[in-house]
Amino acid sequence: MSDLPWLNRWRHLPRDARDTLFQLAVIAWTIAPHALHLAPWCVALAVVILLVRARLALNAAALPSRWTLLAVLLLAVGLTLANERTLLGKEAGVTMLVVLMALKTLELRARRDAMVVFLLGFFLVLTNFLYSQSPLVALAMIVSVWGLLTALALAHMPVGTPALGTAGRVAARAALLGAPIMLVLFLLFPRIAPLWGLPNDAGGRTGLSGSLTLGGVAELANDDSIALRVRFLDRAPPMEAMYFRGPVLSEFDGRDWTRRRRMDPVPQTELLGRPLSYQMLLEPSRLALLPMLELTPAIDAGPRGTDFEFALRPDQQWATDRPVDTPLQLSAQAWTRYRLGPTTPTLALRDDVDLPPGFNPRTMVWAAELRRRPDLRDAPPRALVDAVLAHIREGAYVYTLTPGLYDTADSIDEFWLDRQQGFCEHFATAFVVVMRALDIPARIVTGYQGADPQVVDGWHVVRQSNAHAWAEVWLAGQGWVRVDPTAAVAPERVQLGRGLLPPRGFVAGTLDSVNPALAASLRAFWERMDMRWSQWVLNYSRTRQFDLLRELGIEAPRWEDLAYALIGLLSALSLAGAGWAIWDRWRQDPWQRQQRLVAERLARLGVAVAPHHPPRARAALVRQVLGPAGETLARTLERLDHQRYGQPGRHRPDQRWWRQFSAEAAGAARAAQATPAGPASSR
Amino acid sequence: MGLRSRLAAWWHSRLPLTDTWMLGQRNIYIVPTRGGASFAGLLMLMLLASINYQLNLGYVLAFLLTGAAAVSMHITHGMLRGLTLRLKHGAPGPAGTPALLEVVISNPGRARYALAVRWRERGREGQSWVAVDVPAGGQATATLSIVPATRGWHTVPALVVETGFPFGFFRAWTVWRPATRVLAWPRPEHPVPALPVAQPVPGEQAALQRSAGNELEGVRPWRRGDSLRQVVWKKVARSGELVSRDTAAAGSRELWLDWAATPHGAVEPRLSRLAAWVDSAERAGIAWGLRLPGVELAAGQGDAHRRTALEQLAVWE
Repeated sequence: MSDLPWLNRWRHLPRDARDTLFQLAVIAWTIAPHALHLAPWCVALAVVILLVRARLALNAAALPSRWTLLAVLLLAVGLTLANERTLLGKEAGVTMLVVLMALKTLELRARRDAMVVFLLGFFLVLTNFLYSQSPLVALAMIVSVWGLLTALALAHMPVGTPALGTAGRVAARAALLGAPIMLVLFLLFPRIAPLWGLPNDAGGRTGLSGSLTLGGVAELANDDSIALRVRFLDRAPPMEAMYFRGPVLSEFDGRDWTRRRRMDPVPQTELLGRPLSYQMLLEPSRLALLPMLELTPAIDAGPRGTDFEFALRPDQQWATDRPVDTPLQLSAQAWTRYRLGPTTPTLALRDDVDLPPGFNPRTMVWAAELRRRPDLRDAPPRALVDAVLAHIREGAYVYTLTPGLYDTADSIDEFWLDRQQGFCEHFATAFVVVMRALDIPARIVTGYQGADPQVVDGWHVVRQSNAHAWAEVWLAGQGWVRVDPTAAVAPERVQLGRGLLPPRGFVAGTLDSVNPALAASLRAFWERMDMRWSQWVLNYSRTRQFDLLRELGIEAPRWEDLAYALIGLLSALSLAGAGWAIWDRWRQDPWQRQQRLVAERLARLGVAVAPHHPPRARAALVRQVLGPAGETLARTLERLDHQRYGQPGRHRPDQRWWRQFSAEAAGAARAAQATPAGPASSR
Repeated sequence: MGLRSRLAAWWHSRLPLTDTWMLGQRNIYIVPTRGGASFAGLLMLMLLASINYQLNLGYVLAFLLTGAAAVSMHITHGMLRGLTLRLKHGAPGPAGTPALLEVVISNPGRARYALAVRWRERGREGQSWVAVDVPAGGQATATLSIVPATRGWHTVPALVVETGFPFGFFRAWTVWRPATRVLAWPRPEHPVPALPVAQPVPGEQAALQRSAGNELEGVRPWRRGDSLRQVVWKKVARSGELVSRDTAAAGSRELWLDWAATPHGAVEPRLSRLAAWVDSAERAGIAWGLRLPGVELAAGQGDAHRRTALEQLAVWE
């Protein structure tokens, strides 16, 4: 019926060709998301190989020899080594996996080869999550998994030309029926820390550390475990003033930001206004520092004291003598208004305009051009800071937790001028680099910002996901002044202390201008979806697992409780399965069961019938043994024969028939007892 | 014979011999395949990657596949559960040529796919492996063959019905020992030996002479026992009635295939010669009888007659 020639051709393809093309399509779909970040040669190679394979399948031509494949493989290994300088590591690994997957399709000879293709395919699905765990990628990969399972089922249907739909239904059925198992395992499988040191290209997690590398983290998974709790004794500061000061990073080598070892010993701090008194409960952080509220000049370890030694570094950051591995309770006073550092230029400040030569040349040029703007040519540093903040606010910068990797040497160029997507670290580092390019001393401060909107018994909860990075610039007469470039692009991040909104894409932007109301409701829907997604899938952590156990009534959940719950549920499932198997074991075909019951009744009348005798043969035996007395019974049996084998035959036995037969058999038995000569003597 | 196969032989010798085999929990076995083991390895690898890279979607994927594999175990088992197997008698044939056996698979439930029917012991001659699908509530037939090496009754070897559907992670199978036996006739001698001389039936001399020219042959209605070669198909096509060639000559001579007329020596070659004679005599279209020590089959003609004779030859001791 179809007029489309290609559809017609597809329908009339030989089975082998059709299966191979389907498989190739699934593989191409699985590889496709990798095209965004893999080396172009790898993508091109994979596309060419898949196309060649499709052509071979269409022409039913012979596959290339092993030597050809080996040559291509060696070429790919060489190119990978040239590009990545290693075969280990994530990038090189994924590149090799894609090449191997494509090459393996040229080697589909035996069943074992088919299995290898599927195993590689499933693993390839997983590698996509290394780069993005967005709902869109998840959806695409669900399609991939379904396609792979369908192709696998197809490979196990040797008879005739089975419809793709049949295999697809079986695959979907297996996956859907397996979903409860997936859910139980996902909810209860104990989340454990990485088993060995990760290569640093792993997805980052929010939290503090002593250094910062821009672009090394493609995607920030929110870790919502609690970092600290804070309680204010008389009045609480607004959310946007809650900055907890962590490591101050002043040294930049073009790639990494680190702390300065040697420092000007004179803090020169001036505290202004009334202090805030607060208490802090600090969770073990395994870092040798205390993230105190800005600015806390002194700490009281409470009546019980502590065996940690605290020291205030010249950059106003509290350090401990060793990593904090127990919860700490601290009391302190903080001044949210202060003057930090020297108010007149010092020689030491020259270190804070240092930039490694040769890096990020385009940002340098951009800064120089900003400086040359007529209105800024003779402007004071404060005006330059405002101009850059205005540029962030009015430019196309997007705040996102999934900006992708910035892995070139000039990562600031790439972020500041090209892609313009990032989270606080990107904004803070780029801002500091621009400031230094404008000859304004600047540095990065890392720490926590904001807290949960809900206050629990007077305690504000600060989570690891509140980790933040901001900038400090030195202005003559004011000292070090805090500037938060993230607030310029995503004020809600700072004012509400909450995580990020997804970026507005092109489509959303267009929709915005056409139908604002629809756009708004769509956006609200998408935001809700995205929040649920990150809450339930991406951020489902040990903490969440324990929350779940608490809701199930376990007071103080431990790691083991998760394992017990998991083992218990799986055992219950297995037991249910075993119970069903036992029940099923005794279940019989209803006709067989009736056959047996009829044979039992007839045996009581002295008529011995074999299990396989059809009712017709049984009727004949009844006539032979019981004579005229058995005539009604024999007729009933013949009726059964007709019911079962006649046209149209019944699907299941008829209960009314059984009642009648049963009554007649009982009658015959009574009659036989009444006659002294039993049925046996009638022979 | 290795310990493994000896153990298997002992285990299977405990199975009952039956002609219908209903598949249920008791007689279906299921184990993971090598592919299933590799898949389990892959799942471990995925779990490890998810732990090390803290990928929650990786966990989702690994657990989704675990669930699908667990369900596939039930599907694989369900492909066999509830089926009834029956063996259809094949026609007897000479030793050394494949004897066809039809395994009828009845399915009371939903559709079954990719059932492989094979002999339990591999490496037999003849058709040893057939894959069938069985539609929902329907039947399917798998035709296998065995090659009986000698004449006489042969037990049908144990059959295996197995499946790896849908994903090949598990293999479910059942072993069935059919009770049916297959009869093999003696292998006919080759090249075909000349027939012994037919003896004229006393009192029908005239008929013998008349048969020198075959033009006088007439036709008569088909009678039970007439071989298909005797049917005049051209006439049948025209009239629609079965008619046979009335070989008047056949009635006038009688051919005795006699054990005593075969060359002395071993038993089997003599039986082979008799079997070859039976076929030639039947082809020649003359009435023939069979004499074996202790057995005598009166002269006759037709397929039924031939079969009786060959069966006598097959079981004669």
